Amino acid sequence: MRRLSVILPLLCLLSLTGLAAEADSVAPLRPVASMFTAEVGRSSVLDTYLTPIVYSGPHIALGYSATQATGFAPDRWVRQLAVGVDYAPAENPVGNRTLHALMVEGRWSLMRRWQGWSPGVRLLLGGNTRLRGGAVYNPSGSNNVVSARIHWSVGAAGMIVWNTRLGRAPLTVSYALSLPLIGAYFSPEYDESYYEIYLGNRRHLAHFGWWGNRFDIDHSLSVDFHLGATTLRVGYRGSNERSWASNIDTRLTTHALVIGVGGEVLSLSRKGVNPKARIISALY
Amino acid sequence: MKRKLFLAFGALCCLLLSACHDEPKQRPDTPRDNFEALWTIIDEHYPFFDDKQVDWTEVGNRYRERLTDDMTPQELFDLCSDMLKELRDGHTNLIASHDVSRYWIWEQYPVNYDERLVDEHYLNFNYRRATGIKYALLDNNFGYMYYESFATNVGEGNLDLVLNHLATADGLIIDVRSNGGGFLTNVETLVGRFIDGRTHVGSIQHKTGPGHNDFSEPYDYYFEPTKNHIHYQKPVVVLANRGSFSATNNFVSIMKHLPQVTIVGDTTGGGSGLPFTSELPNGWNVRFSSCPVRDVDGHITEHGVAPDVRVDLSDADAAQGRDTMLEAAFAILQSQR
Repeated sequence: MRRLSVILPLLCLLSLTGLAAEADSVAPLRPVASMFTAEVGRSSVLDTYLTPIVYSGPHIALGYSATQATGFAPDRWVRQLAVGVDYAPAENPVGNRTLHALMVEGRWSLMRRWQGWSPGVRLLLGGNTRLRGGAVYNPSGSNNVVSARIHWSVGAAGMIVWNTRLGRAPLTVSYALSLPLIGAYFSPEYDESYYEIYLGNRRHLAHFGWWGNRFDIDHSLSVDFHLGATTLRVGYRGSNERSWASNIDTRLTTHALVIGVGGEVLSLSRKGVNPKARIISALY
Repeated sequence: MKRKLFLAFGALCCLLLSACHDEPKQRPDTPRDNFEALWTIIDEHYPFFDDKQVDWTEVGNRYRERLTDDMTPQELFDLCSDMLKELRDGHTNLIASHDVSRYWIWEQYPVNYDERLVDEHYLNFNYRRATGIKYALLDNNFGYMYYESFATNVGEGNLDLVLNHLATADGLIIDVRSNGGGFLTNVETLVGRFIDGRTHVGSIQHKTGPGHNDFSEPYDYYFEPTKNHIHYQKPVVVLANRGSFSATNNFVSIMKHLPQVTIVGDTTGGGSGLPFTSELPNGWNVRFSSCPVRDVDGHITEHGVAPDVRVDLSDADAAQGRDTMLEAAFAILQSQR
């Protein structure tokens, strides 16, 4: 009898554990928060390889981002892929010459998520790797007609997300920050022509990037309005990328209004959806 | 705790490092600031101060005395142009919307080329044109090609047609008189038809900083013979004059070192520095020599390439329908038949 009194609770405990194990064995659904964005704003361009004058002008950009809870530890980790292209036709202060800056970018982030310490607020902190490249073209240049740029970096990434309501309308306010720390980037030497590089002189073109020779920051503040399954975004994005190597200064600063459209997208297998599966949204 | 403090201190130092770097000062658009911007650009980028024995500080001081705060744009342009002419450099120009300053050395020497003279009395107006090259097989069975600008791209297929047409000639004259230059890639394309192996053709260097002696080590560069295309291995004469400038100067300096080639005519116009462009606060552009290109012996050819056979076009010959320099080329090729 005494033996039964020990065994029964153990069996109950085992069955409960089994149920829990069954619940965890159902893979959670991890919708992708997709967002297509367009930006319009102002830019400021400096590249002393081309000219010592700071140019400024309009800035336009297109972007796409996909944010999703990770397959491993989906309650705690979030990954994000962002790609984009931006263009700035910038004029000198006198207004008689134009530089054209065209850049493309891809960024992959992995962030740890904390939530529950304040209603609706999520904090995401982690790191990212970014590859960004393009060119600044000066039509009135001669053998320094273009400045190619390519930069790979590893850095810190973070987001604060606040899911709240405006009246009865759900909305999400978020601030995102990307701060490259180290990496590598391309720069010719002071007055080195691209013809010399074409002839085969590849010395001193690659630079180890750190805050001693470049500093980049990219941040945004956005409000997402959830209209049914669609999300509309309005926000601000600012970025600043500077480098100073080989006695060449470069800077590209932008301030832009962001509008976007997106939503949460779920990939379903042919087996259908397990009704017991939990949905883990990365942001909302 | 100490470790965290150390890390925080390190991060702060890094941030301060990036914050400490100052961008170039942006000057206002005044006569004095435009003058100083121009002087500084040349001071920090121009590569031939020592070679030309120009004391740029002294030059700046001398012209600064003539500077006034109320001078008109035209007066400022004239002052800046005069200052740039002290460099005696055909690649150095001040470019405004109303004018371009220049120091074109060929304006100080005999022209030594008369296109009409060649067209009428040697080609009989019977020539072909391909990819910017005028060419003909002459009555004395020498080939003649005139390349008027290295800015006109040379197509490999067109070049095959030219050299194929001239294949039976006993020698070839490449006339680059008054060819003011263009793209160095066209030099490589053309030279590739006259070499039979990887050939050291010169060296190039660049400034690595704003100091007058901040230069990279000269980088030796080589040309490869053009593969699967027609090559010309018979005797060649290159005709040059003072108007053979920049990329043409480079072409002549390379051809001069090929064994089957003789340079005839006048010293070339120089222009061995690849030009770069910068800008003043008022929007004027300044073009200046940068990146010195040296010949295969390591000599700077900024002052021109001397010919193997020095000949001028005489007025008396020209009056009789004779091109003295072309006749000299015939004589050299005749002696090598």
